[in-house]
Amino acid sequence: MDQPEILTPPPAQVVRVRGFVKQYKQHIAVSGVDLEIHKGEIYGLIGPDGAGKSSLMKAIAGVLTYEGGTVEVFETMIDTERSAERVKQRLGFLPQGLGLNLYPDLSVDENIDFFARLRLVPERELAERKARLLAMTRLDKFRARAMKNLSGGMKQKLGLICTLIHEPELAILDEPTTGVDPVSRRDFWAILAELLQERGMTVLVSTAYMDEAERFHRLSFLSSGKVLASGTPEEVHALVPGSMVTFEATPQLEAISRLKTGCTQVEALGPVLRVFTDDTNPVSAAQAITSYLGDIEPRQLHVDKLDLEDVFVALLLRETDQPPPSPELPTASVSSANHSLAIEAKELIRDFGTFRAVDRVSFQVKPGEIFGLLGANGAGKTTVIKMLNGILPPTGGEGWVAGEDMKTAGGAIKERIGYMSQAFSLYLDLTVEENIRLFAGIYGLDRRATNERFAWIVSMAGLQGYESSLTVRLPMGVRQRLALGCALVHQPRVLFLDEPTSGVDPIGRRHFWDILSRLAREEGVAILITTHYMSEAEHGDHLALMYAGRIVAEGSPAAMKAQVEREAGQLLEIVTDQPGLALRQLERAGFAGIALFGAKLHLLSRDPAHDEVRIRESLASDGLRVLGAAIRPLSLEDVFVHRVMALERRDRETTKGAAA
Amino acid sequence: MNLRRVAAVASKEWREVTRDRMFLLLAFVMPAIWMFVFGYGLVLDVEHISFVVVDRDHSALSRDYLYRFYQSRYFDFQEALEGEGDADVWLQSGRARAVIIVPEKFQERLLSGQPAEVQTLIDGTFPLRADITKSYVIAINNAFNHELLVDFLARTRGLSRSEAQRRTSPLGIEVRYLYNEEVRSTWSTVPALIMFSLMVGSPLLTALGVVREKETGSIYNIYSATVTRLEFLVGKLIPYVMISAVNVAVLWLMAVLLFAVPFKGSLWLFIASSVLFVLTSTGIGLVVSLLVSTQQAALIITVVVSTVPTILFSGLIVPVSSLSRASQFQAHLFPGMYYTNITRGTFLQNVGLAVLWTDILALAIYAVVLGTIGYHLFTKRPRT
Repeated sequence: MDQPEILTPPPAQVVRVRGFVKQYKQHIAVSGVDLEIHKGEIYGLIGPDGAGKSSLMKAIAGVLTYEGGTVEVFETMIDTERSAERVKQRLGFLPQGLGLNLYPDLSVDENIDFFARLRLVPERELAERKARLLAMTRLDKFRARAMKNLSGGMKQKLGLICTLIHEPELAILDEPTTGVDPVSRRDFWAILAELLQERGMTVLVSTAYMDEAERFHRLSFLSSGKVLASGTPEEVHALVPGSMVTFEATPQLEAISRLKTGCTQVEALGPVLRVFTDDTNPVSAAQAITSYLGDIEPRQLHVDKLDLEDVFVALLLRETDQPPPSPELPTASVSSANHSLAIEAKELIRDFGTFRAVDRVSFQVKPGEIFGLLGANGAGKTTVIKMLNGILPPTGGEGWVAGEDMKTAGGAIKERIGYMSQAFSLYLDLTVEENIRLFAGIYGLDRRATNERFAWIVSMAGLQGYESSLTVRLPMGVRQRLALGCALVHQPRVLFLDEPTSGVDPIGRRHFWDILSRLAREEGVAILITTHYMSEAEHGDHLALMYAGRIVAEGSPAAMKAQVEREAGQLLEIVTDQPGLALRQLERAGFAGIALFGAKLHLLSRDPAHDEVRIRESLASDGLRVLGAAIRPLSLEDVFVHRVMALERRDRETTKGAAA
Repeated sequence: MNLRRVAAVASKEWREVTRDRMFLLLAFVMPAIWMFVFGYGLVLDVEHISFVVVDRDHSALSRDYLYRFYQSRYFDFQEALEGEGDADVWLQSGRARAVIIVPEKFQERLLSGQPAEVQTLIDGTFPLRADITKSYVIAINNAFNHELLVDFLARTRGLSRSEAQRRTSPLGIEVRYLYNEEVRSTWSTVPALIMFSLMVGSPLLTALGVVREKETGSIYNIYSATVTRLEFLVGKLIPYVMISAVNVAVLWLMAVLLFAVPFKGSLWLFIASSVLFVLTSTGIGLVVSLLVSTQQAALIITVVVSTVPTILFSGLIVPVSSLSRASQFQAHLFPGMYYTNITRGTFLQNVGLAVLWTDILALAIYAVVLGTIGYHLFTKRPRT
């Protein structure tokens, strides 16, 4: 950006990386990365698993050697253990893996004390900081609880406290939000933003989730050990001019194949299609799409700015020169003449002792439908799936899957359902072919059927050329499609997917969802998926949000968003030059529920025009400039956070009321 | 070295070990159980050899002969069989380890001055036991022969029995067992079992304790903090050394009170060398843990490098001096042997520094070498 910045001195550099190369034996993990981190910013490293984020962060933290280039932290060259030691007191490092660096048998208090004493924090300061951080993260009630008994979100916050207890100037956080539900994630970012302002800390943070990119001041997008793009979110946006056209069209499959003749990115989100065009003008972009569609009439068409994820996908496609994935689903010999419901849950209840994990849950999934079950960790999603799979008997209520009553069906039902877990449950030391044949053997397929299904899976999942590769060597995206293939080996009519897409690169993720929607649309397979990544939930035809064992909201993604807009208002985005100060000023002025996204503030408003004026006035009185204000479409994450926060508030009030 | 950081590491480690049920079991319960089980189970005395007899003579003399076996504490009489055919069944099923067959006309031949042959079948599956059984049989047989000779002399020469006795055995032999006066094998195995229990438990515990941190990733807390390598290693090992020290005390008490093994030597010498040995055994665990990255690998390697050689080469079962040359060489490579010398020496022999100094020196060298290797293997900025 060519903004004249005469008055501000050049920002102080905390980290400077030049031509960084990291090699593990023959494998080059990172090749030639440059990076500069300025004091006081949140710098994001974004990329899928295996992109090289962790290697780079560990090298900066001085806990990993490297083969080429230079790494300077606080103007100290990190090239030996001795030099690394010199800056470590000023660093805090949170390694990857939710709560894995904490000590499970130690209490919250003891964990924090250990980290503090290791860093020689004086006891008085320790007590004071600990009290402040525990209060801020609302962990103060759980001080004596053993870490292993904390929820995912609480572990994440405890990890953050332990990393920051010695008040480092630079915090290096490796995928702190992976595996945590949206409310906890938003909480996490809020806490981090608050600490950043209070302490003038600098943060280097990595994530595999593209939708978090907007939260960073500056970022680098890594893929296969290289930087594909870096800069502020706006600068990265500017690399790929274009817009996203969203609409509904039927028949959807025909529309997709017509669009693919000219468009590189076509994505089906339930009934909605999202198509990328490099046209930035909304009118001509819409026209271009309409012309591709021919006689298919698009409904509810609107043109939006690109998400950063769309930008990354475009960059990746540009970089790899690979054609957009377009899986041809080979026709299988089985037709689905079954018109009844694929899954029906009726008043399902499950108690564990006195604790009711699932409370009268009812829903229906039709054949060919993608049904998303959303909820925080511990909301009861997995328990519902286990009951429907016949692994766990329900305490009360009924469940039918593929026409069979779960209570009586027993083993027979296993032949009609497919199950794919987060861990992918593949045998990593077997080849792709061996894995598929093993699963075929487990389901008792004969030789002919096995060969037939093997060919089908390879072509469906795009595994051509990988047949004799060891599974452990596959990229995550390919591994995921193999796992899907193995879950489909016996042609199930119902497919359960339990958080299936963590750590996969965006192209791989879209490829995966392409396959899923084709499976649903063309083969009529009913798909039940649980996830707490909301950008994924957009793909569902129908969603149910679970909270404390109950379904608290249900509907299509669009309907759920519309409902929140009716209840709480539209999403107003404010861009200011000093977002931290602005946030506090606005909270003082009585605005509630403001979330900080990098340089932007998000809040829900019933009367955006009026609120915008109030906000401008309120900030102007404090000498803060509003650089822009706009109404943004709600994301499912906003819906999730809004719903769950409201429920949590209500729970707190009822417990308070009961206590009083 | 900053003591506060050492204390932080040590107290964290101590809490983890004492709160993890598996670790707690491994730390405090297993060594005592090993001592108990092997102390009673690993008895190498050959006694109570079960045997059957086939008496074809059924005479007063044959009964007299067999009576000596019935009476012996080394033999356990099972049954008198009718024929040899049944004897095979007894031997094959393991219900009898020996068969004694007295031939027909046993008494008649002996009284008429002709030689008779008693056939003895011994289960030779375990050569050591078979040898010892054979020597017992020979000894009883010799005593019987001697008795017959004395009887003969008394009858023919008109000597009194005691006179005949004196004339036939002019050269007496007097054996006194030193140190283990009753030649009880527990006296010899129990002190060695102290070594065994420590050698199996403490490296395993230490290795798992360090590798666990690598496996979960919590080792990065150490890598990224300002705690020095020495502070970390010292803090990390203190709890394990303490646990082993407690075990030394418990095992010593078990040996003295439960197994009634006399402790004749210097307690201070025993304690000092035990501390050295504990340092050595935790050192082995430390070095293993720095070479591997999973708990499984740590477990397997520790068992291979410490448990197996300890059982085979430390003198626990077979004295090092009776091993082959090659095995003796191997025995000298593992610290178990030196500590066994010290425990047996202090328990049974009351030998002091003058004799044991080489063993103590060897342990000290082990402790220092392992510590140094551990220190140099540990890096806070690894390659992977």
